[in-house]
Amino acid sequence: MNSLLADDPIVNGPTTKGSYGNAKAKANANVTIADCGDSALVAKAVGLAAEPAWQLVHALAGALNAVQLTGVHDVVPTYDALLVEFDCAATDHDTVRRVLAHEAARLGPHPAPATPPRRFVVPVVYGGDYGPDLPEVAAQLGLTEGEIIALHSGSDLTVRCLGAPAGAPMTDGPPFPKPVPRLASPRIRVDAGSVAVAGRQAVICPMPSPGGWPLLGRTPVRVLDLHSDPITAYRPGDTFRFRPIEPQQWDDYADLSLADCTDPEVRHG
Amino acid sequence: MADTLTIRTPGIVTVQDLGRVGRSRYGLPANGAADQHSARVANVLCGNHDRAPLLEITALDFSCVSSGDTLIAVTGAPAEVTVDGVIRPQWEPIPVQAGETIKITGIHRGLRVYLAVLGSFEADYLQGSCAPDTILGFGPALRAGDELTLRTPCPPIDHPFSRIPLFRLKAPVPAFPTTWTIDVTDGPDRAEFGDTGRRLFDAPFTVTPRSNHIGLRLQGVVPRRVTKGEVLSRGVPIGAVEVPAGDELLVLHRGRGVTAGYPVLAVVTATGLSSLAQVRPGQTIHFRHRTLDQAVTTHRAQREAIDALRTRVHTAFEALRIRAPAGRDYGAPAPVGA
Repeated sequence: MNSLLADDPIVNGPTTKGSYGNAKAKANANVTIADCGDSALVAKAVGLAAEPAWQLVHALAGALNAVQLTGVHDVVPTYDALLVEFDCAATDHDTVRRVLAHEAARLGPHPAPATPPRRFVVPVVYGGDYGPDLPEVAAQLGLTEGEIIALHSGSDLTVRCLGAPAGAPMTDGPPFPKPVPRLASPRIRVDAGSVAVAGRQAVICPMPSPGGWPLLGRTPVRVLDLHSDPITAYRPGDTFRFRPIEPQQWDDYADLSLADCTDPEVRHG
Repeated sequence: MADTLTIRTPGIVTVQDLGRVGRSRYGLPANGAADQHSARVANVLCGNHDRAPLLEITALDFSCVSSGDTLIAVTGAPAEVTVDGVIRPQWEPIPVQAGETIKITGIHRGLRVYLAVLGSFEADYLQGSCAPDTILGFGPALRAGDELTLRTPCPPIDHPFSRIPLFRLKAPVPAFPTTWTIDVTDGPDRAEFGDTGRRLFDAPFTVTPRSNHIGLRLQGVVPRRVTKGEVLSRGVPIGAVEVPAGDELLVLHRGRGVTAGYPVLAVVTATGLSSLAQVRPGQTIHFRHRTLDQAVTTHRAQREAIDALRTRVHTAFEALRIRAPAGRDYGAPAPVGA
């Protein structure tokens, strides 16, 4: 059952919704689909650069969402892969694979984003107890702390996926001269709102949790709204712009949620 | 006033259901009853919806008292179940009268026991589930004196002159061995382990104490990744068998973070995950390779057995004039996009 989609050019067979038998779409040679246990498949973008691979798996996730296929209960798009989870007592690998293949073929290699991105402006107190690893990161990169802050808050960073723990927004890293090493000894507890970097990535830690990424600062705004559906205000494709604030401004933002930090004025893309 | 179930000896007990399905895309783990099969059967034996709240009792002695007459079912790990000192069967409905003490003790083989109540009880919900999420800080363990409000009043159904079991419903009871066989299928990154991937099946692994609902850590002769290169973070399924570093295998369970950056060697089957939830630290596991078709067939057979049980329960309840719980709509798992 590990066939590549390329071997399966004509998508056929009935599904629970719509007809996939009539559309003779050309297979998407940039998507492979593999089994991932008895209750999941993983679709992977291949032969594409990082940006179009990311766009493709997120477009594919959106397309599968729209189909609402019986038995499929979740999709997890990340960088170049899409995990599709289902109840194998309610559907089967072949059905899910066919629909994935059909949607991939329909999208082609360069689908347009389904929703326009939004921009969040996120206040951050840098350094000190808020960002205890700022001096270390500056030293590792051969920059001053001020230069680190300027780079981290100097450009819009795209949310690539929502990951562990608990809906954490994984964004591109700031344009640092080289990757940031992880901490030799991970922290047992990282406070909610902590702003961290590692490798070429950045993140806001949504809830208190263990963590091995160096901490540059912390935002006073609430990252998750536990009783909203969805729990995150941001989506992959949205951007974050970090804005330095002073520690004494913390309380001005402490009642805000990240959902309150959208910037409607700015277009980009 | 509604009747309540009052916790007397909590041990380690949480309110659970089948988990937070449909939220992986927002980065939320499923969580929910670790042994999904036993949890489902407990609810079905009470005539409840599969997704109704129930109690998950882990390892330690537990007791509670119901303020009203009710019907309970106890499944999962073998234990000594008594109602006011009288031993009662697991995997069958048990009538309980107002004021009687339900005790569950002696959990030695297996780890987790499930207790469902006819009509279930009120529970707090977050993101579509009452299952605890330790990262979100939701669903604390219950304490002595905590009261659960029962949703359905139940007339007395015990025969007043005897304690002969009323039911013989033949629920599908899994095995609880001392040495476990856990089924896996090949993972998507099996090839990255070359010949060392066979080590998974060559020798047993021991579950370490650093194991929980998020994942189990196993000691043994671990396979090694033979390829190099960074693995981008991507979604990983519940049941993923990974080799992070050192001499331990990691098997992700229902509380797992939805993304990870390690190659997935194998994936524990849906039925294997319920068994794995019952393996105690220090116990030994043999992994058994299954094809996808074998795994799916086994899972479907297990679910069909539960469907057949549901029909028998319905028939028995009708014969005994037990009103089927006027359940709330716990709903099917939300379809993607809903």
